[in-house]
Amino acid sequence: MAATQDMKGKGEGGDQNFDYMFKLLIIGNSSVGKTSFLFRYADDAFTSAFVSTVGIDFKVKTVYKNDKRIKLQIWDTAGQERYRTITTAYYRGAMGFILMYDITNEESFGAVQDWSTQIKTYSWDNAQVVLAGNKCDMEEERVVSVDSGRLLAEQLGFEFFETSAKDNINVKQTFERLVDLICDKMSESLDTDPAVTTGAPTAKLTDSAPPLQQPGCNC
Amino acid sequence: MGPSVAKPNDFIPLFIDCISAASSRTQEYLLFKDPEDKLHPSFELFTHVFLMTYISQSVSLNLTDTFNCTAMTPGQRILLGADWVWALMEKPSRNPRLQIAVQVLHLQEKEDTEENTALPDICSETMQMAQQESSNKNMYEKLVDFCTSIGKDCYALFLFFGKKNDKGNIYGVLSNNFEVAIGKCNKIDRGFIENFFKGSRYLHTPSGMMQALVTKKEQDPITLMIKFS
Ligand SMILES: Nc1nc2c(ncn2[C@@H]2O[C@H](COP(=O)(O)OP(=O)(O)O)[C@@H](O)[C@H]2O)c(=O)[nH]1
Ligand SMILES: [Mg+2]
Repeated sequence: MAATQDMKGKGEGGDQNFDYMFKLLIIGNSSVGKTSFLFRYADDAFTSAFVSTVGIDFKVKTVYKNDKRIKLQIWDTAGQERYRTITTAYYRGAMGFILMYDITNEESFGAVQDWSTQIKTYSWDNAQVVLAGNKCDMEEERVVSVDSGRLLAEQLGFEFFETSAKDNINVKQTFERLVDLICDKMSESLDTDPAVTTGAPTAKLTDSAPPLQQPGCNC
Repeated sequence: MGPSVAKPNDFIPLFIDCISAASSRTQEYLLFKDPEDKLHPSFELFTHVFLMTYISQSVSLNLTDTFNCTAMTPGQRILLGADWVWALMEKPSRNPRLQIAVQVLHLQEKEDTEENTALPDICSETMQMAQQESSNKNMYEKLVDFCTSIGKDCYALFLFFGKKNDKGNIYGVLSNNFEVAIGKCNKIDRGFIENFFKGSRYLHTPSGMMQALVTKKEQDPITLMIKFS
């Protein structure tokens, strides 16, 4: 990916050093749990109060992979239509997306297709996507089956997890998988496909069935 | 949910209640003069006093479901230029019917040379990152951009905690049309906003401001000067 080179370690002071910086976005309908999910991952906290996000916000978290420091800049977006202009402006530089729906909310699942189209319209071709069916702790109120979630993910070419920000289920795993996918894509494109680094049109990862899983990751 | 407000505009007296509480408390602090000159409260303190008073009053009046107030995170303040956002909520959908994004401007004895006077401390890593990520526009322009990106039902309100010749009062300039000015003079700065008060323009009360907003036609541009205290 073109972005990786200029993101390499531009920090100066001690804590600012990192080997790579990945920009990730969390998108999906309002109230599916995007903010809670990020809170759980970055601060290991959860609150049942619903404060609708205004516009956009972000948190930073550093992860380690193969002795490299990867700084994750994770953008939390507001799901409501009125913020569409401001949120889509941030799609451009994103290397990964967590597209979230709520397993107790049919409408939020129905909107996944639209969100996916938004990604295709506004982000790079190589952006990686994980579909997350959140609130899987609420089994009693479930209206979207695991199978329909998995099937849709397959059709869209995304990875899939059911998650719970409340009970801390698959939160870390979702982010780790997304980071792996980005790393895989990076090494793949740097090794084999010079067109990708120059941003030339190339086969979309999302067009092929399951994403390639290479063990080696050069980051 | 609390007892719902019967008529759509019934929230206005409650809002005014919260505003007066917040303004008068803030005024006390704005006018405070330490006889020994040892206390130098930060600008942020005044903003917090205003917000804390406003929020506790609106919670006790059960106003928050109808007219809510969201304080921005430090990152959002840099990205969006807003200190907090007020929203009049549509009842069933909980979508905002109108929003007012507020940026507080503090009285500056000596004019800062830099444009970004209203900037929060850029100390933490997150703040530095937010700064890098956001456009190179100043804080005033960021607020206007944010409101413009939402639409004509989102108003930018620059709230002056004290003015040059009146240090103890709170004034505001509200508009959903500042972007027109960007087009004309290619830059919004403090002088540009202060200019709205020059001449003998009419000053609205907070209640008059709110009445004007809820009765105006949707896409109409509006610009108001308000005295809050
Ligand atoms: N039971 C349950 N509730 C959740 C979960 N995640 C979020 N919520 C609740 O759902 C509501 C909306 O969450 P929020 O994170 O603000 O959604 P956002 O609009 O997508 O950012 C809040 O009341 C949260 O407490 C979850 O995993 N399980
Ligand atoms: Mg949110």
